[in-house]
Amino acid sequence: MIQVEHLTKRFTDLKRGAVTALDDVSFEVSAGEIFGLLGPNGAGKTTCLRILSTVLRPTSGRAFVAGHDVDLYPGRVRANIGYMSNSTGIYDRMTAWELVEYYGRLYGMEEDQLQARLEEIFTTLQMHDFRDVLGSKLSTGMRQKVSIARTIVHDPPVLIFDEPTSGLDVLVARAVLKTIQSLKGQGKCIIFSTHIMREVEKLCDRVAIIHRGRILAQGTIPQLAAEYGQPDMEELFFELIQRHDGAAVDCAPPDDAERPAGHAAMQN
Amino acid sequence: MTPRNVKLIFLREVRDQLRDRRTLFMVAVLPLLLYPALGIGMAQMLSTFAEQKRTVAIVGAADLPEPPLLDPRQPQQFRAHWFAIADDADKLRVITDTMLEESLPGGPTLEEAEFLQAALQHRSRVEQLGQLTRRRERLETPAPTAGPLPPDHQQELAQLRRQEDELKRELDAWFRTSPVQVLIVVPRGFRKQLDEITARLEAREPVDDLITAAPRPVILQNSADEKSVIAGRRVREAIRNWNQQVLAQRLEAARLPGSLPTAVDATGVDLAADSEISATLWSKMFPLLLVIMAVTGAFYPAIDLGAGEKERGTMETLLISPASRAEIVVGKFLTVVLFSLSTALLNLVSMGITSKYMLTMAAAGQLSKLGNVAAFPPLSALVWLVVLAVPLAALFGALSLALAMFARSSKEGQYYLTPLLLVTIGLAMFCISPAVEINPFFSVYPVVGPGLLLKSILLGQPQPHLWGYLGAVLLSSFGYAAIALWWAVEQFHSEEVLFREAERFELRAWLRHIFRDREPTPSFTEAGFCLLLILLLVFASWGFLSSRFTAAPSAAQLLKLQMVYLLVAIGTPPLLMAAMLTRSVQATLKLYWPGGRMLAAAVLLAIVIQPVSIELLASLAWFFPPLPEGVRQLFTSMRSEEVPGWLPLLAFAVAPAVCEELAFRGFILSGLERARNPWVPIILSSVAFGLTHMIPQQVFNATLLGVVIALLVLVSRSLLPGILFHFVFNGMQVGLERLGGDSLQEFAARTDQWLYRVETSPEGLTALRIEWPLLLPCAVASVLLVTWLIRSLPTRPGSPAAEALLASDAPPLTLQRSGT
Repeated sequence: MIQVEHLTKRFTDLKRGAVTALDDVSFEVSAGEIFGLLGPNGAGKTTCLRILSTVLRPTSGRAFVAGHDVDLYPGRVRANIGYMSNSTGIYDRMTAWELVEYYGRLYGMEEDQLQARLEEIFTTLQMHDFRDVLGSKLSTGMRQKVSIARTIVHDPPVLIFDEPTSGLDVLVARAVLKTIQSLKGQGKCIIFSTHIMREVEKLCDRVAIIHRGRILAQGTIPQLAAEYGQPDMEELFFELIQRHDGAAVDCAPPDDAERPAGHAAMQN
Repeated sequence: MTPRNVKLIFLREVRDQLRDRRTLFMVAVLPLLLYPALGIGMAQMLSTFAEQKRTVAIVGAADLPEPPLLDPRQPQQFRAHWFAIADDADKLRVITDTMLEESLPGGPTLEEAEFLQAALQHRSRVEQLGQLTRRRERLETPAPTAGPLPPDHQQELAQLRRQEDELKRELDAWFRTSPVQVLIVVPRGFRKQLDEITARLEAREPVDDLITAAPRPVILQNSADEKSVIAGRRVREAIRNWNQQVLAQRLEAARLPGSLPTAVDATGVDLAADSEISATLWSKMFPLLLVIMAVTGAFYPAIDLGAGEKERGTMETLLISPASRAEIVVGKFLTVVLFSLSTALLNLVSMGITSKYMLTMAAAGQLSKLGNVAAFPPLSALVWLVVLAVPLAALFGALSLALAMFARSSKEGQYYLTPLLLVTIGLAMFCISPAVEINPFFSVYPVVGPGLLLKSILLGQPQPHLWGYLGAVLLSSFGYAAIALWWAVEQFHSEEVLFREAERFELRAWLRHIFRDREPTPSFTEAGFCLLLILLLVFASWGFLSSRFTAAPSAAQLLKLQMVYLLVAIGTPPLLMAAMLTRSVQATLKLYWPGGRMLAAAVLLAIVIQPVSIELLASLAWFFPPLPEGVRQLFTSMRSEEVPGWLPLLAFAVAPAVCEELAFRGFILSGLERARNPWVPIILSSVAFGLTHMIPQQVFNATLLGVVIALLVLVSRSLLPGILFHFVFNGMQVGLERLGGDSLQEFAARTDQWLYRVETSPEGLTALRIEWPLLLPCAVASVLLVTWLIRSLPTRPGSPAAEALLASDAPPLTLQRSGT
């Protein structure tokens, strides 16, 4: 469902000049599979997922989502994906129901089909309590549910989650992960980015470890463990990164100003 | 773009805005409350303002002649009799030197008494100043009935002015700090003198010597002080009427009729109906308010819909929906237009009703003499008002939305309001200034077109005459709106604009970035900056040059000045910027050999397009305002026989060809080539080229030619064909000018005028008109050549070196860049 071939993205940054946010990245994800994109802040995860959701254009390389080239047919790609990240906000002055309904209509759904689908989603995600509450009055957990409902309202074959749990409390995060798990059961093709190891271990069928725009390793978790002789994912992750950029990693994590803009932009 | 999605987005945005308390307040509540509140405030201020009394001091009050100037029962006031509005007497308080001895209630305070004492001491100097002024005025503007001026009057004038200034300075230092707004000094023995004149008149004796010798009272005030101005105006009114009375007494004494001084006494009749007086008022208030409110009504929702959405993260959500970017922009645009229109119209309704109410009250009272000033404009004018609000709202809506998309945050967006508002108010003020009327040129000018049309309609000009303008106004306004909308959609395609982070701006980092990350060719921003620099320099030298033009320089001087201007203002910025900001001067300025074929094409095109350009301008002469005097002088200097032929050729062909091409098709075009569409650099560089020409007809001509030259340069990837075209084109014009109107006329007469003729306008200007046998082949050849150029346009313009970096460049008008 998703094919990424030698994807590269460069941009100019005020402080550091030309920056390569993605460097020759290739991977594939098929239906019924959860693919994890694991990497520290500023690794290029968001840039990659934004290219897949057509809001950014690649400098070189190609990517296909549900069989469509993201650069040539962005409209068809957008109709076939559900995208959710921390930066995809919900409208303050719209109720939960109105928002999901609005997006359903934008996806061109028939009115009766849409109403049935809304009832179904609101029931599954247990959102009926706050269906008529304005966005500004919703709690973080509720907002996250609305975002998920918005993402899946048109029942897309491909789902893209960019750090969907960051900034959430344990309970909400768990609920989000459960939902993603159940979506996999429906045969969706899911790509999921995070910097939290445990989520990857619990959720993902296959993983790519990405750092400074490059994929350092990819495969199923047992495969990776065998390949690098390191059963602990967390240790494996640090080892790979350390090997990649020498001794730099033990120092304090880079501060905001030093992070690649690709990541900083994501925080908007 | 599907209407379904546009409608969906439009409806959502409208509902969203209606749920926003701030928007509702701006659009509906504020106008309904603002004007009544302003009305109350104004009424209150006027009433408190009216109660302020001003003080007038009179020195030598004992010498005032009959009839009494001051009220005999109340000597602290002028007689109400001397004022047109009797109440005005209450607004002036009079203190006199005679009051110093008596102690009346309401007499001078201690401070005023001190002033009067000082005034008595300064008396002779004030009188002297009065005499100096009187003498100077007589020399400066001699009365038509007076005799010839003395031969050395210039010297005398200079001396008088010197003495006068000295005395004025001295007296002002004292008067400025005083508690008094106006001082009247009556010369000693003034009353006696007037009485004597009257006595002599009665006895029918000559009075000439007495009249010329008599010293006159002086009214001293400082017109830089507003309080003094108002008081001074009232004092002069009283003295003028009093003076009439003194004159009447004299005439009576001389046994002459009282109507003697008014020999002609013509009666002025005003044809204006009452409603027209009010029409003048509405014609100023409505266009101004409509324009300002259309801007503010568009701006705030636009910021919320643009920068606000980016800030809240909902923009990204919307971008990954199937709605295309054009659909999103159009949906938002329609919302902004709706709110702009409602704000503007609600404001007009509220303001209209409030002012009508206040004027009706005023008309019943003091203003009753003016008639029915509160008459509302007729219904048909109000319909026009609504119709004309639409293009204004569309223009401002599109412009605000583009700015809002460009801004990183709502806060940054707010900062763009001030410049937008200032420009708009400037244009609106221009519309309502008295002598400006709608004409073909103004009708296509943004904001000014709708504003002037509305003014004409409110003034009650015949509407059928204005119908023609409506088309031009609507078409041009919607055209500008479309351009702004296109810009907004472009912003949406730019990753930098969509995902710009609100990063801290550091001057040092930015400067380092500019020099460290130099690219082979300039960026979009740098091109814009180059244009800005050129416009600034042109603006600065424009003032310098026009001051030179009025000083009547020789033709050779004019031509040399023109060259210096081109070199400094237009040639230098691109050269310097190319050397400092780019890695390759050659690639930036396109200094490549284009091949002989392109050079030949450039020459041919310049020759065949010349007659087309001449005829086009001549046939559009009715549209443009006449050329300013300085420019006409510059053109005739080309023709001047005092200068050798090479000088105009250098100033009007060589220098412009080199300097302007370096700037517009060199640096600026290279920068603009970063845009996605090849027509963006072509159109924008031509408009930039046109803008620097300042004069409307030249702006028009240069913009069109700019498109042709930009095509030549882009197709050949070299600046040289552009320079050659420009040189040949301008050189031919210089040649035609050098031939001169007379010899052209002779030539035309010899050639039976079938190729061209020379037309003389009523103002005595000669214009060359091209006849069809010459025009048609030239036009056909031009069209063919330009079509060929368009066909050969590279799909992705730009020098190969720049191409690799094309994808990641900054949007226009931003100083900082950040990526994603």
